[in-house]
Amino acid sequence: MTTTSAPLPPPESPEAAAALAEASGLRQVGVRPTLREYVKETWRRREFAQTLARSTVFAENQNTYLGQLWAVLTPAMNAFVYVLIFGVILQLTRGQNNGIGFIIVGVFMYRFFSESATGGAKSVQKNLNLVRALHFPRSLLPIATVLANLGSLVPALFVMCGAVLVSALLPSVKFGGVDWEWLLLVPAVLFIYLFSTGVAFMLARVVERVPDLGNLLPFVLRVLMYMSGVIFPIDRYIHDPALAAIMSYQPVAVYLNLARQALLDEPNIPLDPAMWAWGAGWGVLFFVVGFVFFWRAEARYGRE
Amino acid sequence: MSEDIDFEIDAEDLPDRADGTAQLGEPSVVVHDLHVTYRVFGSKRRPLPVGKQSRLRRFLAKGRTYAGAVTEVHAVRGVSFVAHHGESIGIIGTNGSGKSTLLRAVAGLHPPTQGSVYISGVPSLLGVNAALVKQLSGERNIMLGGLALGLSKAEIEERFDEIVDFAGIGDAVQLPMSAYSSGMAARLRFAISTAAVPDVLMIDEALATGDAAFRKRSKARIEEIRHAAGTVFFVSHSLASVRAMCTRAIWLDRGVIRADGPVDEIADMYAQYVKELHSAGKDDRDAAQ
Repeated sequence: MTTTSAPLPPPESPEAAAALAEASGLRQVGVRPTLREYVKETWRRREFAQTLARSTVFAENQNTYLGQLWAVLTPAMNAFVYVLIFGVILQLTRGQNNGIGFIIVGVFMYRFFSESATGGAKSVQKNLNLVRALHFPRSLLPIATVLANLGSLVPALFVMCGAVLVSALLPSVKFGGVDWEWLLLVPAVLFIYLFSTGVAFMLARVVERVPDLGNLLPFVLRVLMYMSGVIFPIDRYIHDPALAAIMSYQPVAVYLNLARQALLDEPNIPLDPAMWAWGAGWGVLFFVVGFVFFWRAEARYGRE
Repeated sequence: MSEDIDFEIDAEDLPDRADGTAQLGEPSVVVHDLHVTYRVFGSKRRPLPVGKQSRLRRFLAKGRTYAGAVTEVHAVRGVSFVAHHGESIGIIGTNGSGKSTLLRAVAGLHPPTQGSVYISGVPSLLGVNAALVKQLSGERNIMLGGLALGLSKAEIEERFDEIVDFAGIGDAVQLPMSAYSSGMAARLRFAISTAAVPDVLMIDEALATGDAAFRKRSKARIEEIRHAAGTVFFVSHSLASVRAMCTRAIWLDRGVIRADGPVDEIADMYAQYVKELHSAGKDDRDAAQ
């Protein structure tokens, strides 16, 4: 094809349009890319997700006097409340070597998951301005949201470890000290990160389609919190073996268990390779299924 | 044109006309039978304000507007056209004729309900909402916008000063964009979007908020893009700016193309139509703006 002086007339059929586009090397917009292309493109644009995540973490606390300090203060205060009510007053963790550490680890890890789920669910709607102005794989939005939460989790983890050490000073606490097992916290966080991103993918698509479901999410997360033994040991309170097994091997409970294996010395939470296999399995499964599920609606995000 | 229907821009403010004699390149956008619908939540038609209705009836009617209210808007209904490299196309029409929706769909940012759109490269759309992420500083918005346009971090840092200079926002680049005036935000967005020369640039009213000096600069940038074989789409209510910026015009009326051709011809037709509407005395404010 060469240059013309007048624009071509509009194509008369879909085939004519496709043929003309093909001849001029154009690509169709508003259609879903293949999964392969999508994975590639998501990976190629990962810097975009990192920048968005970093900016979000920063923007979250910038309107306060204490600023970034809140990234540490909020989870610390949260843990304090739970320890006070469920550990000290109701004594739900009586019988554990370190009941306070038990609750602290549970609250910090669960908070990361629930914030990721909540944020991931809203990630497309919250960034509608971006979606409507720029081209990028929409999968980067849930990814960036969970990445931002991971960014806040890192300082929180230091608080968590510090709190476990401080709680060990109490006379009632039996504590084995800091050992190599603490390093296991790294894979535990990696697995819960994969899992949370998978959940964020799924919720992002569903809530974008039916925003009302976003309003139900807090209740689901609250139920899940009590079903995962965040503030009490499951094996001590659930006596039905089938129910106890379901509750202990569902992903969230598995990740709490892994983090507690790493940091605490509890006879009822021994180092257990099977649990680590469950953790890795759940993480990869949710991540892959969530990604594919999200990709299937790629061409539809932002319609409204 | 006889009666001036432009309130925003004085004719002498405008830079020279786009030169329409340039040769057209290959097609850059092919659109066939494009339909776009979108969902609007919580926007059922308001019940007629009849005073005689009983309290209960009014209450129920009101309730329906608050729960389960979803409206489908069919904004673009079967649009087809071909655009070429080196063309700048003005899209004109009254408020609510589907201009912005058409642009978003062609840019691939709003999925079509029916029909097909083919485009060259990665289009860049300048919308009315200029800030990408309002809570973030101009600096971070430049970073995000540049990355999404396919620039690398190093390339963005290299062009950073140029972008800030072009936008003319100075130290405000460190402030969150929620603190920007609409003019500042629009200028920054324009600078970001043209930092990498896009194959297809779409401008949706975004320049209306700029001052005269900025309009001159942006006009020069648009010409540059056109000469680099880009295609520019331009939505504006100001017929004078469409005449000055564009070589071709598409007149959209209630989601359908009413006319498509050389800018002067179409603009005259549209001006005539608006005048008639005006004298018919209906919707005058709507149409004339």
